[in-house]
Amino acid sequence: MENNVDMKNKVVCKVARYNNVVNYIVTFFIILTLNFFLPRLMPGDPLQAIYGDDALIAMTPELKAELIQRFALDKPLGEQFVAYLRALFRGDLGYSYYYHAQVVSVVLGYLPWTLLLSGLALVLSTLTGFILGVEAGFRRGQGLDKLLLTTLMLVNGFPDFFVGILFLLLFSVVWGLFPLGGSLTPYASLKGFDLMLDILHHLALPLLTLVVVRCVNIFLLTRSSMVTTLGAGFILTARAKGCKDIRVRYHHAGRHSLLPVVTAAGLHLTHLITGTLFVEVVFSYPGLGSLLYNALMVRDYPVIQGVLLILTAAVLIINLMLDLLYLKVDPRINYAR
Amino acid sequence: MHVDYWQEIREDRLGRIGLYLILLLALLAALAPFLAPYPPEARVGAAFSPPSSRHWLGTNDVGQDIWSCLLYGARTSLVVGCGAGLLAGTISVLVGTSSALVGGFYDSLCMRVVDALLVIPPVLLAILVGAYFKPHLLTLVLLLAAFLWPGGARIIRAEALSLKEKKSVAAARTFGAGSLYIMARHIVPDLGPVWLAVMIQDARRAIFMEAGLSFLGVCDPTLHSWGRMMQQALEFTYLEVWKWWLLPPGLALSLTVAALSFLSFALERILNPRLRGEREDAGH
Amino acid sequence: MLVIKELQVSFGELIVLKGINLELKKGKVLAVVGESGAGKTTLGLSIMGLSPGKCAGQILFKGKDILALSEEERRLIRGKEIAMVFQNVEDALHPLYPVVDQVMEALLIHGIKDKKAAQRKAMDLLKAFGLSEERTHFFPHQLSGGEKQRVLLAMALANEPEVLILDEPTASLDAITRAEIIKLLKKVIRDKMVLLITHDLSVAAKLAHRVAVLYGGRVVESGATQNIFTFPRHPYTRGLLRSYPNMTTVKDLQGIPGPPYKPVDGCPFHPRCTQRVELCFREVPELKSLGDRYLACHRGGIIPLLEIKALSKSFNGVRAVREVELTLYEGETLALVGESGSGKTTLALTIMGLLPPDKGEIWLEGQKVLLRDKGFYQRVQMIFQNPKESLSHRMNVLELVKEPLDVQGWGSEEEKLERVRKVLEEVELPADDFFLRKYPHELSGGEAQRVAIARALVLDPKLLIADEPTSALDASIQAKILKLLLSLQEKRGLAMLFITHDIALARKVSDRLAVMKDGCIVEEGPASEVITHPKHPYTRTLLRLAADLKEEISISSMDA
Repeated sequence: MENNVDMKNKVVCKVARYNNVVNYIVTFFIILTLNFFLPRLMPGDPLQAIYGDDALIAMTPELKAELIQRFALDKPLGEQFVAYLRALFRGDLGYSYYYHAQVVSVVLGYLPWTLLLSGLALVLSTLTGFILGVEAGFRRGQGLDKLLLTTLMLVNGFPDFFVGILFLLLFSVVWGLFPLGGSLTPYASLKGFDLMLDILHHLALPLLTLVVVRCVNIFLLTRSSMVTTLGAGFILTARAKGCKDIRVRYHHAGRHSLLPVVTAAGLHLTHLITGTLFVEVVFSYPGLGSLLYNALMVRDYPVIQGVLLILTAAVLIINLMLDLLYLKVDPRINYAR
Repeated sequence: MHVDYWQEIREDRLGRIGLYLILLLALLAALAPFLAPYPPEARVGAAFSPPSSRHWLGTNDVGQDIWSCLLYGARTSLVVGCGAGLLAGTISVLVGTSSALVGGFYDSLCMRVVDALLVIPPVLLAILVGAYFKPHLLTLVLLLAAFLWPGGARIIRAEALSLKEKKSVAAARTFGAGSLYIMARHIVPDLGPVWLAVMIQDARRAIFMEAGLSFLGVCDPTLHSWGRMMQQALEFTYLEVWKWWLLPPGLALSLTVAALSFLSFALERILNPRLRGEREDAGH
Repeated sequence: MLVIKELQVSFGELIVLKGINLELKKGKVLAVVGESGAGKTTLGLSIMGLSPGKCAGQILFKGKDILALSEEERRLIRGKEIAMVFQNVEDALHPLYPVVDQVMEALLIHGIKDKKAAQRKAMDLLKAFGLSEERTHFFPHQLSGGEKQRVLLAMALANEPEVLILDEPTASLDAITRAEIIKLLKKVIRDKMVLLITHDLSVAAKLAHRVAVLYGGRVVESGATQNIFTFPRHPYTRGLLRSYPNMTTVKDLQGIPGPPYKPVDGCPFHPRCTQRVELCFREVPELKSLGDRYLACHRGGIIPLLEIKALSKSFNGVRAVREVELTLYEGETLALVGESGSGKTTLALTIMGLLPPDKGEIWLEGQKVLLRDKGFYQRVQMIFQNPKESLSHRMNVLELVKEPLDVQGWGSEEEKLERVRKVLEEVELPADDFFLRKYPHELSGGEAQRVAIARALVLDPKLLIADEPTSALDASIQAKILKLLLSLQEKRGLAMLFITHDIALARKVSDRLAVMKDGCIVEEGPASEVITHPKHPYTRTLLRLAADLKEEISISSMDA
């Protein structure tokens, strides 16, 4: 009899996973549609809407004709949409008049720095938030907990870019400990280890900003989860076995408190990505954020759309991976549907 | 369980601080035309002059009085925050409640849409749409509300579902009441506290997003905004001017957001009895 | 040996355990029983050094005081020399690790370095405890309640500890699984010092050699398990046994009067004790040795209320009562079963002083009774078989029930009226004027008997002699009168000498049973013992011929 139940649960599980994937595909489709329709909702000639007034002035008639043809801008809406989708699947995100290049190549040029910054920020903020949360939750009500709780709640109120500004002002402007911006010292032609140090030197403040701001949510989540977990029976069992304090805290309580963190990781990521955008602007860090900022200033719509599309796609893919990760992390899910 | 929410907020230290700050801000914003010595867009002084009795926070790069800009920025933030919060909250309630009550295909459909929208970072969407429309106040409120409402919809739906199961609702059905009546008379009033919590959260995020969008230059340049002030001030960090141009709007923004955070945290603890024991810990 | 000396555990203002002195010996199981909140689990946790409260006193193990050790030293002992098996609550096992890993952890913490060896040993352990190899890799939520308990057991015993503490090892298990776990436990705890914490007396009876009863954070009675359960000497222990449904006890369930434990001065049980004296309010009784057990009671346990020593009475050469020796304890029912002519009524009348005895003595509350004076009658009352006869047809209800008070010169008219009203309520009769003015012939059989009982109770006696109080009544009324008597006993600590010819009836109301034949007591003992293991042939006959709802008739054999 138990076998039947197992089988049924496995089937339900598979369906659930497909459910998620379908959700994400639907979402992506919504974005694509939005991307498609927005410029065409604006008054005026579609080319003008897509590329903006300034661009139009700078374009040669041949370029205009080519673009009209490529994106079927003189055909009815339905055909335009199909052309749009086809271009997308070819990896063609459009043409940036400002950079005089394919959007794809422009974006890919700025992508690595963002990956570096946000990747490190994701890992460090989660880790910091988690460890602080575990320690605070374990010592609930005592000195360390109160201190952490109040400070971090306060920090939570500050928008990411303002924290970045504060750090910039304090560490770079007033004390001059860190560079004012950029990811590398320009024209320095450093190699190897020196290069790495230079990169880290420039990375320090933006990374610090993101970690400080983003660790708060993870901290709060972990902390409240710890407080609940520590009342559970298996904690007492662990201590009765003679487990060391640290092991109880992390291997037993912490591991259990990890579950809501993984659940919230998707949201965490979302906030991190938007935070990265702003922080890059503050520190003139040459990632997608700065690219977007510049594109916004000159209204280079294809680049704007391209960056946002890539970012959204990244968020969706990572969310999907996190959903799959959660199924592994909590063995009860396979059963509890 | 009948809990007196006003009293609880007032008793919770953090909640009180949050409440007072917001009220102070509202007062300043409302009285801005009277408190501001100059119209914010007028060039009334020498550029980059330090704080003085004529210009309490000095002037910016084109000679506008910073204090006046700050006051009018408060207006923008509050209007956007409250407007978007209210609107998003209301949409959440409408969608969440109707979804819970009607159930079936409509429910699945709504929740699918909500889930789909929840995954996308609202800031990105706002930037995308805002880039095309250069929103001023009203458009901005509509825009932000459109991207913020899914956040609360799930919570409201869950609450509505549990309220739906209450015996008093079952009794109303035995009198022949229809879904709309039940929604209006039984469910929505009891949703009050959750609705409030969701609205405060939405308002907080709206203010955040408005500042961010202005900072990036997405919004209409004539919109007085703290974000825009910070964007402009950031260019001049090599001068002393950042002290009175960059910091005040940032601090004002942080205080506002923090105040709403406190309020929201206090409400959350009131709504979730399990965390109640913590009020003594952190509310000191 | 593990010795607990004067252990006191407190949580801020609240003192949960006081003055606990216990010993654990190798190869023996000590059960600590009590109801919830008595502090049993706290006791177990304190031995492990895991109690969150403040501990005072000593717990001596291998020459060291556990309470005085540092946390690190205690940690090394936990799980290795002293282990605890927790109650199988939902989350006693970590939900995210397979059970074999959790057992492995116990081994790895305390010495085994090689992971593979530890895993092998863990799997062998689990298999020895009844888990299949495949299931050892499962997560806790995939296992049944019994399997989870086995895992907890295996985890505790992994390092072969010398001391094992079991906290409700069979709670929340179904009957069959419970039996299996008990069997398993008996096998594995053979040479260990075991502390069994439970509220389930049946488990204690099956596993423990000795039992300690906990009330209000103190040990009130302790001794050999069978001894304590068959002959409880502390009022609380007796109350506990009376309220626990089991197949051994034959009497109907009774509760313990009063509200659950709240901290008080003096003896913790005194608010609910029916034999308390002034001292009990002030001083805490010490746990003293009483020969076969330890007892904490100022009065030395349940006091013998009535002692009949070598009583004899003859009529016209017929020896109606022959050298009868009986003891009746406070708050309990002694049923005297015998056929007509066995001398039981004569005995009752002799006790009451309505017939003078030829020989022998009667002692009441430890003092020899020389005269039947008012004091005696205030403490001992009687109700007779036929209520209509025992109630004077001239007096109405009020006068009838008031009569003893009038005779004893007690209180003013108003006070008497108040008392009468109260006692009528106790026997579930109306106390309004209309009823008070009724005459016996206007009452039904059941009402009349209740009035008689009320009259007997109005002086607040400690002992009630009931001579066939219900044989003149219909069966359904009989049942209600008996329930009334039992509840009065529960509430007031009333002792009853219940005289009847019907052993089936006696079975339902008695704590102890005495069988009388031809003036002699042929058998006497706890009711459950006499009913299930009768020694005397006459008793056996009575039982065989007692009322039952089966079809066959048992053939009687002539008894000696």
